[in-house]
Amino acid sequence: MTRCRFFCLLALAILLVILFRPETAWPQEARARSATPVAASGSRVTFAETIAPIVYTNCVTCHRPGEAAPFSLISYEDVAKRGALIAKVTAARYMPPWHATHGYGEFADERRLTDQQIAAIGEWVKQGMPKGDGAKMPKLPEFTDGWHLGKPDLIVEMPVGYDVPAAGPDQFRNFVIPTKLTEDKWVRAVEFRPSARKVVHHAIFSWIKGGAAAARDGADGKPGFPGIGVALPGAGDSNSGALGGWATGGTPAFLPEGLAARLPKGSDFVLQIHFHLSGKPESERSLVGFYFADKAPERTLINIDAPPLFAFGRALDLAPGAKDAIDDSIVLPVDVRTYGVAAHAHYLGKEMKADATLPDGSKRPLLWIQDWDFNWQDSYTYKQPFDLPKGTRIDVKVVYDNSTDNPRNPRNPPRRVKFGLQSQDEMGAVTLMATARSKEDEQALATLLGERARSAGLAGFKNGDLARIQQFLRVAEAPSERITLVDRQGASVATMGEPGLFAQPAFSPDGTRVAAVLTNRDSGNRDIWIYEAAGKPGRPLTADEEADSTPVWSPDGRQIAYVRADSDANGIYLRSADGASDGSARAELVYKHTTGAPLFLTDWSSAGLLSFWTGDSIYVLPLKGDRKPVELFKGRSGRISPDGRFIAYSDNNGGGPMKTYVRPLNLSAPATEAVQVHDGTALGGLVWRADGKALTFTSLAGLQVSGVWQVEITETPTLAVGRPQMLFKPVGVGTPAQLSSFATRDLERFVTVVPLR
Amino acid sequence: MNIRRLVCGGLLLFPVALAAAGDRARNLEMHEVRGGIVKPFAAGAQASVVFFVATDCPVSNGYAPEIQRVCREYSGRGVGCSLVYEDIDAAPHSPKLLQQVRAHLDDFKYSGIPAALDEDRAAATVAKASITPTAIVVNRDGEIRYRGRIDNLYVALGKMRQQVTSHDLRDALDAVLAGRPVPHPETESIGCFITDPALLRTHAHD
Repeated sequence: MTRCRFFCLLALAILLVILFRPETAWPQEARARSATPVAASGSRVTFAETIAPIVYTNCVTCHRPGEAAPFSLISYEDVAKRGALIAKVTAARYMPPWHATHGYGEFADERRLTDQQIAAIGEWVKQGMPKGDGAKMPKLPEFTDGWHLGKPDLIVEMPVGYDVPAAGPDQFRNFVIPTKLTEDKWVRAVEFRPSARKVVHHAIFSWIKGGAAAARDGADGKPGFPGIGVALPGAGDSNSGALGGWATGGTPAFLPEGLAARLPKGSDFVLQIHFHLSGKPESERSLVGFYFADKAPERTLINIDAPPLFAFGRALDLAPGAKDAIDDSIVLPVDVRTYGVAAHAHYLGKEMKADATLPDGSKRPLLWIQDWDFNWQDSYTYKQPFDLPKGTRIDVKVVYDNSTDNPRNPRNPPRRVKFGLQSQDEMGAVTLMATARSKEDEQALATLLGERARSAGLAGFKNGDLARIQQFLRVAEAPSERITLVDRQGASVATMGEPGLFAQPAFSPDGTRVAAVLTNRDSGNRDIWIYEAAGKPGRPLTADEEADSTPVWSPDGRQIAYVRADSDANGIYLRSADGASDGSARAELVYKHTTGAPLFLTDWSSAGLLSFWTGDSIYVLPLKGDRKPVELFKGRSGRISPDGRFIAYSDNNGGGPMKTYVRPLNLSAPATEAVQVHDGTALGGLVWRADGKALTFTSLAGLQVSGVWQVEITETPTLAVGRPQMLFKPVGVGTPAQLSSFATRDLERFVTVVPLR
Repeated sequence: MNIRRLVCGGLLLFPVALAAAGDRARNLEMHEVRGGIVKPFAAGAQASVVFFVATDCPVSNGYAPEIQRVCREYSGRGVGCSLVYEDIDAAPHSPKLLQQVRAHLDDFKYSGIPAALDEDRAAATVAKASITPTAIVVNRDGEIRYRGRIDNLYVALGKMRQQVTSHDLRDALDAVLAGRPVPHPETESIGCFITDPALLRTHAHD
């Protein structure tokens, strides 16, 4: 008995835990049920009478064979076998998908079930999903298989299929399709027919001036180009324009009240498709139909965007963990008629809200998205167009969440995010689609929007937003290059690695390996890669999210020093050159340069001195001792002779043409007299021969590298240079002041980066 | 019957019931859809993973490449893999379902992984799986050591992380292979419900 008491109590405890712990076997269903209000109590809910009408009205547009949704909901069996799932997703209002807050603006085609409908589904599942009287089943709606809007006036097709992989992150791909239009057209509707509906989540249509984006299409060897922005669709921009879009479940429609969007002659149609990968490889080749108006519409549909240019120029800067908001207001200079509204942000967008305050003080809600989902970039058409009088103020707020609370945050741990065109950058705006009453009013509205865009543009020019976008576009449009080794005549002798976007290639001291900066075309990020032999692919030395640059080899070839652009400083790091191929080898920080100015490492001398330049001054950093950099003198591209007694460098003497010099290197004495190596303009490309008696340099014509030269260095009795001899006219030397060892130590081989087209 | 006797009886029966459930899982034989017999929960391998999937579940479909990666990467460490399909049809023993599963294996490039159709929900019942996808890890003695999600890609249905931060299945496998306790032996799967076909048949003609 006593023994049983102990064990019985234990057993009781176990049983109680088992009996009263939350039901783990069906947790989601249990929750879905409890969240569902009970429908008309006790009444029997059947598929035929209650559920089929709900499903046929709200679900089968997408959930039918051949459409985007993952399964059909046509028959009783289709629905009943997913009853629990349907009850759960409707109760959670995940389905049907609709992201605008109900009651905040009244929209046409609002995909929304009523509370009663949701309760009825829950009750039906609870009752065991009875089918009911088949005779009472509603008729399945009829669907058009071909063009919904009838035969289009113009049909364009993607020239070739795009292969969509089975798995990976969502893809955003732009396809540039020439329209070959010989006159301007006015578009009343665009109808989009994807071929791989299971993976096409949404599409955005625009036009761009003929040829303007053609260079990017195919630059990475596949049809189209990646990214979510073609150009900033600024107000008054005559080089591009929006033509609407399509999202899963959307049906094409003509613009209301005779409106039409301009499609200029000779323009290219840009089809941006968001692919949501399904686990199965697919190929997409879309058809697009255009429906034209007979003549130009009387009124033009105008996009009133706030903030202008999707927050370009606002110096958007979201610190890790930040939950910041941007807001903007615009006061309408004229009366407008409003047709629809759209919101945009990337993955960090959390909430968008737009309200109108009329001159009489009354308020009108325009749009409120509380849990922004980048995958559902719907535009919302108002049930009834409505007028907003002159003097109405439109207030827009976009809230971001760059913390780990945001599961859509592309970065974990979160990182600093600024304005940019790529999905890991951020932007944001709410756009109202409206018309003005007269040509004069249209002009007044366009003038205000143009001024707003111009001042945003100017701000972006000043605060670095523009520079970042230009850098991104340069990367996106750049043709692929190949690391190419050339001889003293400039003739190619070997290539290394796969094609890519390279900079600052450097030979190892034994001349067998090359380290170079490789730019990732999708992310724009730069890492250091090592290429060990001709014809072989490379391996990453660094694989971080910061931009890495200017690799230099240690004299024994076992380590590489490089610069990493950390968020607070430019750091000089050391890493084993034989480190793990995944880039995970530990990096040692040797110096942090906090002025914010770019810093270029150019040498690692046999005596253990790193040489770098920043802000037009040359520094050396002893790796032994306290590792304090010593500022030497004005100049760039310092390269120390093999015996450590001299330094070659370039300088413009305070604004003149660039010249290249050699002078004795003495860290403790004042700078000594320099000897100029060449009469002409020369910058960087400095490599000492192993015996210290010859030096290469590069000459400039304008901003271009015009030649690779060699000059003899003598010191009998004093330091002197011989007559420079030009070796070859190079292709692909890049920015020579940022180079370290671009020649082997016998000056027989040079490493260049040659564009493939 | 007084409470003490009930509780004492419960104590005696409890481990027996667990062992019986374990035996039922270990001994469960299923028809491989291309022929032969598969015992997904059997003892013997260093560890085994059983993936509950369905041909029409977009969540388990999206995981097809990751399932294949896990099976490939762990096969060298003596881990066996199998797929259990929880497809459903109103008609019992529908040949349509078998064809559907075979086509799905081809479409999603599953090769070398045995697959069975769990028509009577025997596998789901013994493994206590209610959602597709669910991964079950069985140790070398045929004991279930992990039940739940593959990773934390999904936050909720339709709400996905941009970056997976918890690889629960791989962590469980690593622990089982190292003979360590699994850190989180049970996690919540997010996906499609596994439905009892009997329910469909009972009410189809109401």
